[in-house]
Amino acid sequence: MAAPLVLRRDLFSFARILGGISQLGPRCLSACSSHNWKCNQTRFQPLQTSSTFFHTATYLSSTPSSITVTDEPDTLFQKVVVLVKAHDRAVLDSYEFFATMAAKELGIAMGKVFEPPKDIERLTLLKSVHIYKKHRVQYEMRTHYRCIELLHITGSTAQVYLEYIQRNLPEGVAMEVTKVTKRTRTATFMENVKNSRMKLNFLLCSHL
Amino acid sequence: MAASLSFSGSARLLAALGRSSVLHSSFESRGLHVTAVCFKNRAARIRIGKGDQPLTYEQAHHPHQIAHRKGWLSQHASNLKGEGGAAERTMEDVFIRKFMFGTFHGCLADEVVIKRRGNALIVCALMLQKMPPQKFYFLIGYSESLLSHFYKCPVKLEIQTLQSKAVYKYI
Repeated sequence: MAAPLVLRRDLFSFARILGGISQLGPRCLSACSSHNWKCNQTRFQPLQTSSTFFHTATYLSSTPSSITVTDEPDTLFQKVVVLVKAHDRAVLDSYEFFATMAAKELGIAMGKVFEPPKDIERLTLLKSVHIYKKHRVQYEMRTHYRCIELLHITGSTAQVYLEYIQRNLPEGVAMEVTKVTKRTRTATFMENVKNSRMKLNFLLCSHL
Repeated sequence: MAASLSFSGSARLLAALGRSSVLHSSFESRGLHVTAVCFKNRAARIRIGKGDQPLTYEQAHHPHQIAHRKGWLSQHASNLKGEGGAAERTMEDVFIRKFMFGTFHGCLADEVVIKRRGNALIVCALMLQKMPPQKFYFLIGYSESLLSHFYKCPVKLEIQTLQSKAVYKYI
């Protein structure tokens, strides 16, 4: 997966260099070949405004995950709770709009979308390096939250939705996902239930 | 405390204070400050001057304006409640800023912005057009590969060039 990524980025940077050179024009290429640096500089002067206005952008591309088909039944979630944390409330507003729109387009049933109260962590430190105990400086770190609940969702849908949401998570934002599902009645589970019921009966009888 | 008044008669001082409190609007009264030296905040502030020093938007606003008029220069999730690794991210940020300052010497127009999206490190910078674009591209590729080998994660550089520094005000 790393090799095609490296190739793609190399291609992009190569294309950028070619684009940059082609903008200069054929006159400057002939000047470049003369190996006279001063001549080059004077040649660049009239075209400087057009050739040096460039900017690079990031291409965060990756291969999509493959689709697998299995016979075992899909896990069913009663509730998937996505809690997003950030320092900036505006970023969370836009992210909530994006997540709710994505869920609506995919047809996922949404529960509540609410904002838990923010947490402020405050520090009081001495302002000066040496002495002056009465003069302090206070810093605070604010954490804003946003909670999105998805109801009655299948495992594969949850996987796809969460992967899409997480790929587009902005910088400086953390996410916690809680999945609520019903446990199947395995043999050990039934044994434990029986043991606890027997213990309860014993306790009640011994009291009498 | 710090005020050592050496003239005789505390009664005279009390009388003067009494007069000043009653006739505070009169031109004869004067306020008397008897506290220790109060320190002014000096963090990340450029003091007012003659009016010839240009300042960028980042330099002109004081740190208490962060999240009001200023954004953050380094964006990561380690300082949120319940998240760890803040010290490591800070060390990485310090190194990256020094590295960028040294590699693109004299070309940085403003502070470097560092963003972390998942595993990737994205370094955004505004540059002045002091070098031809081929040199810029070489330095961008060199920094990207060196930093990604150093930090074992994909490092991307987002560069935008300007003719000259964007001046917000003169101080």
